[in-house]
Amino acid sequence: MNTSVPSKGTGRVGEAAKKRDGKALLTGGARYVDDVRLPGTLYAAVVRSTVAHARIRRVHTEEALSLPGVELVLTGERARELTEPIPYFIDPVVRGARRVDIHCLESERVVFVGQPVAAVVADTWEGAQRAARLVRVDYDVLPHVLDAEQAMSDDAPRVYEEWADNVVLSKSYGTGDPDGALSSADVVVTGSFRSERTTTAPIEPRGFLARWDAREETLTMHGSCQNPHQLRWMLSTTLGIPENRVRVITEKVGGSFGLKMQGQPEETLVALLSVLTGSPVKWIEDRRESFLAGSRQQVHRFTVGARSDGRIVALVNEIVADAGAMTAQAGWAMPNMSATTFPSGYRIPDCRIDLSIVATNKPPLSAARGFGKDSAHLVMERVVDLVARRLGLDPALVRERNFISSDEFPYRTSTGLNIDSGDFHGLLDKATKSLDYEGWRARQAKARGAGEHIGLGLALELTPESSDSPGSFVSGFDTTTVRMSVTGSVTVLTGVTSPGGGNDTGIAQIVATELGIPLEWVRVVQGDTDQCPNGFGNFSGRSMVVGGGSAALASRDVLRTLTTVGARMLGVERVEVREGAVVDPEGSDSVPVPDVARAVLTRSFEIASEVEPILESTRAYKPGNIDHRPDEHGRIQPYPTYSSCLHATAVRVDAETGKVEIADYAMAHDCGTMINPALVEGQAWGAVVMGLGAALSERLVFDEAGHTVSDRFKSYLLPRASDVPMIRMEHQVTPSPFTMHGNKGAGEAGVGGAQAAIANAVEDALSPLGVLVDRLPLSPPTVLELIRRAKEGRM
Amino acid sequence: MRNIRLNVNGEDHEVEVDPRRLLVHVVREEVGLTGTHVGCLTGDCGACTVMVDDRSVKSCSVLAAGADGACVRTIEYLGTEEDLDPVQQAFLDEFAFQCGYCLPGMLLTVRELLDAEPDPDDAAILQAISGNLCRCTGYGPIVRAVRAAVRSTRGGEGS
Ligand code: FES
Ligand code: FES
Repeated sequence: MNTSVPSKGTGRVGEAAKKRDGKALLTGGARYVDDVRLPGTLYAAVVRSTVAHARIRRVHTEEALSLPGVELVLTGERARELTEPIPYFIDPVVRGARRVDIHCLESERVVFVGQPVAAVVADTWEGAQRAARLVRVDYDVLPHVLDAEQAMSDDAPRVYEEWADNVVLSKSYGTGDPDGALSSADVVVTGSFRSERTTTAPIEPRGFLARWDAREETLTMHGSCQNPHQLRWMLSTTLGIPENRVRVITEKVGGSFGLKMQGQPEETLVALLSVLTGSPVKWIEDRRESFLAGSRQQVHRFTVGARSDGRIVALVNEIVADAGAMTAQAGWAMPNMSATTFPSGYRIPDCRIDLSIVATNKPPLSAARGFGKDSAHLVMERVVDLVARRLGLDPALVRERNFISSDEFPYRTSTGLNIDSGDFHGLLDKATKSLDYEGWRARQAKARGAGEHIGLGLALELTPESSDSPGSFVSGFDTTTVRMSVTGSVTVLTGVTSPGGGNDTGIAQIVATELGIPLEWVRVVQGDTDQCPNGFGNFSGRSMVVGGGSAALASRDVLRTLTTVGARMLGVERVEVREGAVVDPEGSDSVPVPDVARAVLTRSFEIASEVEPILESTRAYKPGNIDHRPDEHGRIQPYPTYSSCLHATAVRVDAETGKVEIADYAMAHDCGTMINPALVEGQAWGAVVMGLGAALSERLVFDEAGHTVSDRFKSYLLPRASDVPMIRMEHQVTPSPFTMHGNKGAGEAGVGGAQAAIANAVEDALSPLGVLVDRLPLSPPTVLELIRRAKEGRM
Repeated sequence: MRNIRLNVNGEDHEVEVDPRRLLVHVVREEVGLTGTHVGCLTGDCGACTVMVDDRSVKSCSVLAAGADGACVRTIEYLGTEEDLDPVQQAFLDEFAFQCGYCLPGMLLTVRELLDAEPDPDDAAILQAISGNLCRCTGYGPIVRAVRAAVRSTRGGEGS
């Protein structure tokens, strides 16, 4: 559970109130899951498959069991008798995709290196690690496939033998007549793009501490997680414990970025281990395990047609997305969003996007900031630059010519999204000014004369946020309780959670503003299923839209009672609440809010008669613009809001060493109304740098046997402070007409645009050499390889 | 097992440890100070940073037995909620963290830098914090906070 009480100060909506949990975090006093101490806690370690594809013949537990301090060794076979399959966060069948049963431990067949096959419980962490190494598994090894395109060939090994092929989902999106439009285009450009597998890598890995109380028959699960209510449901389903006997408590989360969305095997596993041992059981993922989670890996083959003035008339794109093995977590569904995010904020009515999500014998995808949208931006922005290059036009100009203009909103894209609002021309203007685009172009020309390589990169990023998926726990609404006590202090219990971004601060600002009370009277409680109303936690930039909206609705109910009774106490018709007092706006009389609260709750047969004596309300907020009824083209519209931003960067590339140096970086950002601009900016900054990592250095590398080779921070290179630029951030505010505060989701925008801007800038820098950037990350060896290929192509 | 003595944040502790036990585990489990975090156990992330005899150290890369007799300072020593160190205050004011998991390394290495060099340039700042990974902030706000801490310390000297 997370509670926060603010440091003193102003904190109305729109102000940069300080993070409420800031002082606890700064002084080492915040409690993350590994900091929770329960007496008698045992430690779990997971035994994982060492082969990419095999039938399990036998699991040898004797040696591990003989170690002192080892309490239990659980095999997949036993686990299967005791648990149901893990329910999917996003059901593949509903999406027209294939599914398999996912168990907390696999008993028959493993399909990736790292898949959980057994677990040990010991009285110390070290003991559990040691015992896990002693569990031996005999495998009958089967052929495996690690590449999605290879996996699509007829003779490829089947990842799941019960499937006819390895395709999880194959689907086409788009409207119009792209083939016809292509044939009448002035220019047609074809190309491909390949992105490598990356991972979220929050600095705190996942972790759970489960406590089964056999006498009470209750399960309490402390976790580093994003979706406590969904986790409760899932544990209830897999373990057969009534849901009202399961309590999930989200501790302080040390970053998540999608990784800690629910649906992973270890959740059920750790709970089961506690049930079986009758003791609290803790499992904290180690860094190598954390590197198993994949974020993205796709191949795109596109054909785009344009008129000679730069107007794009058609786009056809074929996406092959490598999902790895299947997962009950939301990760497998991310590539679907890659497809529907095309053609982003560009007016291209004739589009066809063919998507294949393909299973391979790699670890599963795990939800990741960007949720597939980032891959669409990367490729779409490459497409726009390629058109500009072919036509000899400036990429800024081609963008201007193709942006949906601000008077066209709401605008329905070819793939079905209904963009609520925005001003992409405005963003371009702001970002290019902030970067001094013209100045850099001049510097570029000069540098070229001297044989140096400066490049400029632009990228629009349109981020659909706060998604809803019918019948699933991807919910477009959320719920908040606002409760004022007899002393006027306010407790806010909300269904949304914060993995570090600070939405608790934003929600408190909304409540304080609505109620007209000081921020420090408000306490926000998140992440505890026994305290908070049913909710859906954190994903899809939803927390301030629906958590904030529901908090405002609930506050208004409380305010109504306060003002009714306050007006009676002042003997006037109309009152307002300001700075903690109910005031008569006509005169000078006022009464402190705590006095009114006391009157409501203690004088209900007197001054507060005929008023229901309650200063509490629970409300849900549903934003507009979501529509799941398919239109005549079968398009649905699962998002209320669309944030947008425009990246502009200047890079220097050393053609000798292949090193890319980011010389300048500007981002113009629009998430509508900002509840707390400092928190918005922090999120955007972090997302950009995560994108820079994917653009320049991050890559999960596998050997031929399917082992993750880059399994530590020495080989999987996160950006470090000296690698990244100081970003200049500009804000634009086009309020969403479909949310209560006009805000749009924030927090994801940055990841995709940064990758695209860097790819475009590097190509621009090396264009005199004829370099075509068709892959990421642009690590020095890759850049040198691209230069070499360009030279060979020219010979 | 062997007995070691540690002075942690001014308090003496005598703990019995397995010779293979890491300092980070002793600080967190035996001494009970959980402000020091574990992010990788491979010496790469800096979340486990503590000061050992006034030098910042990744406590996952040190055996507890090797620190016998040492004076250890952790993030808890730096300041309290009521009385933040200027570096902590600057981090708060500049929104230089989100989840806070990286703070032990960030705060202690910045404090160490400013103790050695009260007016560092950006290159020195970047170098000092580059041993610590932060996945949330993108580092810019942290650099801004260090600059602010430098300013506030200088301003404080003048008054
Ligand atoms: S835990 Fe010590 S450096 Fe990461
Ligand atoms: S604030 Fe989350 S890792 Fe730095």
